[in-house]
Formats: sequence, structure tokens, C-alpha cells
Amino acid sequence: MINKNGKRIINYREFGIFIAFFALVIILMIISPNAFARPRNLINILKQASINGILSCGMMFVIISGGIDLSAGSTIALSGVVAAYCAQVQGLPVIVPVLAAIAVGAIVGAVNGFGVAYAGLPPFIITLATMTAIRGLALIVSGGSPVYGLTKEFEELTNTFISGFPVLAVYFIIIVLISGFILTKTVFGRRIYAIGGSELTAKVSGINVKRMKLLVYTICGSLAGIAGLLVASRTVQGSPTAGDGYEMDAIAAVVIGGISMSGGYGKWYGTIVGALLLAVISNGLDILGVSSNYQKIIKGVIIAAAVYTDLRGKAKQE
Amino acid sequence: MEYFLEMKNITKSFPGVKVLDDVTLRVRAGEVHALMGENGAGKSTLMKILMGIYKADEGSILINGSPVTIQNPRDAMGKGISMMHQELNTVLDMDAAENIFIGREPQKSKLLNLIDREKMLEDTHKYFKELEIGIDPKAPMRSLSVAQMQLVEIVKAISADSKIIVMDEPTSAITEKEAVILFRQIERLKKQGVAIIYISHKMDEIFKISDTITVLRDGRLICTKPACELTDNELIRFMVGREITEIYPKEESSPGQVIMEVKNISRGRLVKDVSFRLRAGEVLGIAGLVGAGRSELAETIFGLYPKTGGEILLDGKKINIKHPRDAIEHKIALITEDRKLTGLNLSANVKENISLAALSSLAKFGVIDQKQESAAANRYIKELGIKTPSENTAVNKLSGGNQQKVVLAKWLLADPSIIILDEPTRGIDVGSKRDIYLLINGLAKQGKAIILISSEMPEVMGISDRILVMCEGMVTGEISRRDFSQELIMKYASLRKGEQPA
Amino acid sequence: MKKVLALLVIMALTITGCGSDTNTPSASQPAETAQEAAGNETGEAAGDASDKTIALFMTHMSNEFTITLSGSVEAQVKARGYNYNVYDANQDAAAQADQIEQAVTLGVDGIIIEPVSVDGIVPAVRAAKAEGVAVVIVNQRISDPSAADCYIGADAATTGEILMRKVMEDIGGQGNVALLLGPMGSDGQVGRSQGFANILADYPDVEVVFEDSADWQTEPALTITENWLNAGKDLAAIVSQNDGMAIGAAKAVADAQLVGETLVYGIDATSEGLQAVLDGKLAASVSQGTEDQGRLSADACADLLEGKAVAEETIVDNVVYTKDNAQEALDAIKANG
Repeated sequence: MINKNGKRIINYREFGIFIAFFALVIILMIISPNAFARPRNLINILKQASINGILSCGMMFVIISGGIDLSAGSTIALSGVVAAYCAQVQGLPVIVPVLAAIAVGAIVGAVNGFGVAYAGLPPFIITLATMTAIRGLALIVSGGSPVYGLTKEFEELTNTFISGFPVLAVYFIIIVLISGFILTKTVFGRRIYAIGGSELTAKVSGINVKRMKLLVYTICGSLAGIAGLLVASRTVQGSPTAGDGYEMDAIAAVVIGGISMSGGYGKWYGTIVGALLLAVISNGLDILGVSSNYQKIIKGVIIAAAVYTDLRGKAKQE
Repeated sequence: MEYFLEMKNITKSFPGVKVLDDVTLRVRAGEVHALMGENGAGKSTLMKILMGIYKADEGSILINGSPVTIQNPRDAMGKGISMMHQELNTVLDMDAAENIFIGREPQKSKLLNLIDREKMLEDTHKYFKELEIGIDPKAPMRSLSVAQMQLVEIVKAISADSKIIVMDEPTSAITEKEAVILFRQIERLKKQGVAIIYISHKMDEIFKISDTITVLRDGRLICTKPACELTDNELIRFMVGREITEIYPKEESSPGQVIMEVKNISRGRLVKDVSFRLRAGEVLGIAGLVGAGRSELAETIFGLYPKTGGEILLDGKKINIKHPRDAIEHKIALITEDRKLTGLNLSANVKENISLAALSSLAKFGVIDQKQESAAANRYIKELGIKTPSENTAVNKLSGGNQQKVVLAKWLLADPSIIILDEPTRGIDVGSKRDIYLLINGLAKQGKAIILISSEMPEVMGISDRILVMCEGMVTGEISRRDFSQELIMKYASLRKGEQPA
Repeated sequence: MKKVLALLVIMALTITGCGSDTNTPSASQPAETAQEAAGNETGEAAGDASDKTIALFMTHMSNEFTITLSGSVEAQVKARGYNYNVYDANQDAAAQADQIEQAVTLGVDGIIIEPVSVDGIVPAVRAAKAEGVAVVIVNQRISDPSAADCYIGADAATTGEILMRKVMEDIGGQGNVALLLGPMGSDGQVGRSQGFANILADYPDVEVVFEDSADWQTEPALTITENWLNAGKDLAAIVSQNDGMAIGAAKAVADAQLVGETLVYGIDATSEGLQAVLDGKLAASVSQGTEDQGRLSADACADLLEGKAVAEETIVDNVVYTKDNAQEALDAIKANG
């Protein structure tokens, strides 16, 4: 932010997205003051951004390390189904489905991580394979239809409020703050950036790149497991078709937030803005009665714009 | 027309900084015109203006007496100006022939845009033969060494039929033998009336081949003189603005105990049965031609690649190094040959690069102590004289010399006892080079053991206490300081297949 | 070596994932379902052993509707004494055509098709008929009905009409309604939407204020409904083209504490849907006689193979399930499952 002469200059690469976000919110508030701007709707936006937001945190780790995870959506389905089976049992403490979901996610993540780190497979390929396989597994495990009839405690996981805030948003905020802390303040986080910035340099500098990658994908999978748990709680069912395409929204949130797809660059708080931006778009357009097909077009344009800004910012820096 | 190219009164500023101030460069057809100056003097900016990458704020460019405007690099090429970059402009996934003819491939049929691959290979083969370059035109660039890639770059510029060729550090990654081939080709080009603007920090080269020398300093033209009218010291004085009495400051050293013993180290066909001893406080130079296996030896010792035989002893005890992490734990450091690829994280800033190999020592319970990190970075910025606006500046904004200092800082922070330097002064200006030599001396004095791999003979002879020479993966000779001579080194470095090393 | 091993692992994973997509000859094994395991026993006990085979071609097997349909086909096929195979096209029209051709080549005697695409499989159907195979189309008409022997199904438009009539009854013919649709352009969506429109034309006091697709999925439906409920237009009813989406909409309505004010409706009468009706979350769900479709199509195919006459078209009745009659239907499903 400080150029050669010590003057502060606005780094468009980092702050452009905040500007775009606030501009969009203000426009929507003006167009639809009675609906969009209502406090209850704004809280809804927070709620709707949360699940994608949590998934995006995991995706953020992977993308900063120079990889990608296409299997996150399928993991949501599998972990949701497994959690739902646990949540069907009356009297079982609600911690059981929670841990089960995280465990499922972690295992899927570890499979991805192993493939990338130790078998040397391109992340796109291995996560594409797991995306297909895990979706199939979810269908098999669930017998093809949603698992329903879940306990009230399980539903309450996403249905309560903490001092006016939907608990989903609280989960999101906690997870994103922890992620931000890890990425900016810990040795572990710094090493992830190093691997994404230059894997060879990281290796020469003594970083165990393989082990780091395995951990990063496991983290992403675990967060996808949490997201799956929350979707199951929110819809009160474990659906094998849930999460279809959710990894795309997560990647979109990360990219819009300014994290570079080539790895090694980007601020964690950008992901918050990215997730909120996507939720604002869906919410605003739903309220205005715009069909979801148009929403897809608009999302696509914004993602392209975000990537373009990232590339131009990168070129300017070189 | 006395001058083929005139760049008159060129001025160029970037926000807050005047990079070129009323600079005039006049080049005759058929001459080799050296452009010299420290990093930051404005040489590359001036050349970028000539290549159409930047536009001058003031001033004009004339070719053959008529003013021209150069819109972009393509336009420059069209006007007969081509440039051979220091940072290789190669496409790694294509082969040598494709790289040479990129953008102007010979076509079988203009209509269908079919590339005439046979002609391309034929022409490439012709050039390679003329220049005595033993590379297969079909070889993928990825498989070539840095030096070989440079040779391909040279051919690319030569084959584009240019009237002016700018050569930016063309011999930085090739050996003396290969440089001779280049100089022969430059002679040929001169006879054809081609003008060559030659940028290099290697003084003996400059004096060997250039007709005229222009010196820039801090964006201004200092002087333009025929090469024969300048001496070494005068040239340095013009460049740096102060006397440098010695290019290679060397102090008396008293090496101590043997700190590392390398026994019969092998790595496939790249490193064959290498053994040597290294003492604390000594500078051990390793010389040899490109492809001799010097970098490979360093990488093997450091654990970047597994060894296929032999052992390493530290302070008499056998150690097992399977990953750079192990080497670092044993207090070994490796400053690699290619700082951009394996030495720096270009997406990060100076501070983050400096702390990269010593993160755990700057952290408590896994959390980085930001204050400590900042302090460490600033300490090295000061000690090594790294020119940077702050420790938070992106490292890709620094000049080559300062980037190299950042790499050094990173390794010094890791507190090594043994430091391996692989071509540490490649592509760096005279002032920074000297800083690095002084640093090496200082480290040796502190009792650290230094291995210096260098293809620059004056450098390796100027700094080392003793030199190992390698050829085709084997150590072919060991020379102590009092016996140093270029001829002796070359002899050991070029032992033919089958000849026994001394 | 490591890379080869890894690639083999990937291939194995991918094949498992596509395990239900039975394209290749070696993989044309019947997909395992829970119902099939149960069905096996009844099939072998009853009827004469027949060497003839009836194969069922499903669009997909990933929701209760398709599972119920295939389950009842299987039970009836085996009850009639025939061998049974099932194929899953994973929503891919080309794949379904391939599967049909392949089955015919392998000598299947009768086929029952739930078509992925109305046009796409017509050539495969004609080819099958040319080989003398009996062809029954179920649940969705193909563009050239005369190419096959008969059609059994619910009529999508009729289904839509029956549901919308119930909605109008419940809301007194006036108010704002919102529609949740299947994937735009899919046959289910187009037919049902037509049915909705037919009835709505007679009710000028009812306004469709929101209409959007949630792709048959529960969570997207929840999100869209949440947003609609915040738009400040009081909704009398949310009418969904399937139960999956209806359940999501119902959750949003419950969260917004509008149960009873905004009524929610679905189609399919799956067990989950019926349970939701009993719990008061859905006002009603309309079945497409899934069970009957399956049974009748199996019967029709068997009849054809035995030389009996079969009606060209059999439309199955829709049944509207509300709190009053949902329990029996639910019990019936649970008994069969």
C-alpha cells in the first residue's frame, strides 16, 4: 500500500472488491428499500452466506497452496447423509453426528491430499475423481433417497439465535477468524503461502511440502464435512444430492475475494466479502423476482471480472 | 550517416522517480557498443524504450538519420531491432527450433497457415552447425540446461536478421569456451554491418570485444569513449563514482578444522564418486564447465535429490540428509543457481522471504512473533545493504543484486555453519558483487565454511582458498591458491572422455 | 510406478462412482437396491421359471420416486415369472439409447423405458421393435408414441391441474402464490407448469408473484423461499413441482413462523412428503401413482410377451394426499420398502 515515495496508494487488487460489494448493497437498498433493506432480510443474507462461507474457508487454504478441490460439494452430501443417520437415533448426543460429519470430510480430504502430495497427481484430476466417486458413495449409502426424521437437537444446531445473530453466522465468523489467524499469524499458514508462491523455493527452504499439502486438503475436507453437517441440519434431512455445484460457489467466493488462483497470494478477509457478495446477489435477485438462470450469468460475469482484476494487478506488480 | 542508431536526449520518469535524464546514445553500424552501469543506472529502461516496451517522456530515436516511433516490441523487430534478454524468454514446452522461429515460423502455405516444420528444423540445424552448438533442434527446451537455453536465445536473435541486436548479459550462464563461440559470431555480425549493444558486468569481456563504451550512472550519461581509451579502474570509477581498488577483496585466511567430509558421493550419472574435505573458515571454490555436475553435487549434499552412493560426515559423525530440512538442521545452507525459481517467493515481500528458512525459530507455539521477524529482516536489510523501500516491499520489485542479498539474508538468518553458494553473483552489478565478496570474506573469518560454485574464473580465483575442478560429474583436480591459473583450471575442466584426471 | 498405481486407484474410484451407469457390456449388472434383495425372494417363489427377460431403463435412481417406480416394476416382473434387469442412464439421453441397443443385442425380450428425452430414444425404440422386442413406455411420453407398444403413466399436465385445483380450493381462489419448478425445460417441469397455468387462467384474483427453478433440490428451494418470504409480498401458497423442493420451502415457512398462513404443496407423495403432510408442514401432495405405474407397466410388458392385447395408453390416477389419507399411503410404502 505504500509506494516508492512512501505515499499511500490504493491497491485495487486488494480493495476493489470491497468497493464493489458496498456499491452493490447500496444499489439494492435503494431499489428495494422495503424488502432488501429490512433487518430480517439482512440477517437472512448472513445466514445464507454462512454455509458457502465455511466451505470457502477450506477452499481458500487449498487455493492459496496452489491447488483446488472440486470434490467439496460431494463431500457435503456424504457427510450430510452420515450425520443424518446418526441424527435419526433419538437420545444420541448431538455431538455424534457432528463428529461423524467432520470425520467423513477429513477422510475424503485426506484421500485428495494423499493423491496430490504423494502420488503427484494434479489437484484438478484427483478431486474430479473424488467428486464423482463420493457422490456415488452418498447415493449408495443413502439408498438413493433423503434420510429424514432427525432429532430436534440436530435441527436446533442451525435454528437458534445468539443475541440476535443466527447461529449459522456465528459458526461462519468463528471459522473464518480462525482461518485468518492461521493463515496470517502462524508458521503453518506462512508455509502454505510459501508453497503456493513457489513450491521449489519452499522445498529448498526446508518446508516439507508433501506433508503440508496433505494437511491442507484434509482441512478443506473437514470444513466441507462441517458444511455438509450444517446443510443437513438446515434442511433437516441428509440428502445424497445435496451440495451439487457448491464447490463452484466456494471457488467463486475465494476468487472474488482476491485470492489468486495461481496460489501464494491473497488476504483471508477477501473470502468473507466474496461469500457475502454472492449471497447478496442471490438474495437481491430473488427478491426482485429475477430467475436463477440470470443469476448464473451475473455470477459468471463477476467471477470473470474478479479474475481479470487479479491478473492485471499481478501484471502491474511485475 | 555516421551513426546507425541515435537515441537523443531521452528522459523517462516513473511516479516519483526520474529513471533517465537527458541520455544520448549513438551507435555505429558494425560496432560493438558496450552499455555499462550499476543496477538502477537506467540501462534496462533505455533498452526497453528502444524495444518499444516503454515510451520516452522526452527525446527522440533516429535510425539511419530519420526519426522513428517504436510502438511495441513487434514494431521494433520489424524495424530490425531485436533483444536477447537476460531472463530467458523461452517457451519451455516447445522445442529448440520452435523457440527460435517463434512468431515467424516458415510456412508451407500462407493460406492454410501450415508451419513448414522441415524447413524450420533445417534452418535451425544450419545455425547450430555454424555456431558449433551441439544441441538437437528437436530437443524440448525443458530438457536443456540454463546455458544451453541461452545459446538458443542467441541463435534466435541472430536468425531474425536484425540490424541492431541488444545483448543483455549474454554470457552470464555460459562458460568461457561457449562465450568464445558467441564472440566469433559477434565478429561475423560486425562484418555484416550489424550493430550490437552489449550489456554485461564482466569487465574482461567488455574490454575484449567492445569498440565503444557508454557509462550510465543514476540515470545520467557519464561518458562515451572508445574502449581502448579506458582502463579498468577508470571504468569502475565512472560506473560507481568512487575508487574501487580491488575487484576481489581477499584477506589472508587461516582455515581451521575439517568440518565436513564428503566421501564417494554419487548421484546416478550426474555425480560420480566425489570426495573432498571442507574446513571451517575456508572458501572452497568449485570450477568447471556447464554440465560438469557442480550444481548437482550441491543439490545432492543439500538433500534436494537422493544420493545413490557415498556418505557425508559432519564433525566426524555420519549424517543422513534426505530432505533440505535435514540439511538445514545440520546447519548447511544452499544459495541456489536460479534465485527466481528456487531461491525466492516472488509473491511475497522482503520480510517474508528473509524469514522463510527460520520460521520456527521466530515463533512461539507455532505463532510467528511479528516483531521479532520484522527486527530480523531490518537487521539484514541494514547489514547487507539491501536497497528496498521497506521490509514489506514485494520482493519482485527489487533489482537482481538486491534480490540475491535477500536470499543470502534468508540463509544467514538460519545460522548455518556451512554455506554453499551456486553462482551467487550472476547478473549482478559491480557494487553488489563486491558487497557479496566482502560478505563471503567476513563469513569465512567468523569460522564458517564456504563452498563457492562459479563459472566466472576471475571470481573463483579471486575469492577461493582452494579450487576443486569438476568435469562430467567427477572431481578432476584440486588446486591450491598459490597455483591458481586459468589454464590449469581449464585443463582439468575439459578432460576428454577416457582421459585420466590428474 | 507410483504414478501408474495412482492412476489405477483413480480409475477404480471413478468406476465406483459411475457404478450405477451401466454402459459397458461387462458392467451391465443389475444395480443393487434394497428392494431388489427383498424382491428376489418373492420372485423365485411364485410363477413358472421363464427364460424370458424384461429389462427396465430408468432416467436415474437417485430419488424416492425413481426408486419406488423401479421397485414396483421389479416386484411385478418377478411375480409374473420373468428375469429382471435394470439400467440407470444417469440423466444422459445418449447413454440410455446405448443401453437399450445393447440390451436388445444381448437378446432381451421385453423392455420398459422411463425416457430421459422425448426424442432422443425414439430411434432406439424403433430398432428394438424391429427386433421383435416388446416396448412399454412409462411415466413420460416419447414424441412418437406409435413407435412403442404402449404407454403407461401419469399425465404431467393433469397432475399439475389436480394439484392447482386443490390449492385454489384451500386459498379461496385469491391471493399471491409462488411456484417452485423443476429444471427449466425438463419434461416434468413443462408439463406440470402447463397444468398449473390451465387452472390459474380461471382465477383472475390469484397472482403468481414469484416463479423460479430450484432444480428439484431441497436446500436451494429453502434459500429461494427464504428470500421470497422477505420480499414483503404476503404469500398465500407456495406450490412446488416436487416434494423435495416443497420440504425445503416448508422449512423456510416454519423458520419465518408463517405456518398456516402460507400453505405449501408438493408432487410425488414420497414417504418424506407424506410424513411432512402428516406433520402439518405440507398442506397436500399429489401422487403420480408411482407404485401403480410400475406395476401396470410390468403387467403390460408381460402381457405383450404372452400374446395378450394391451391398451395403447393407460393413464394412472393421481391421488391428492392430505392429512386425512396420508397415513395409509405412508404405511403402504413402508410395508413395501
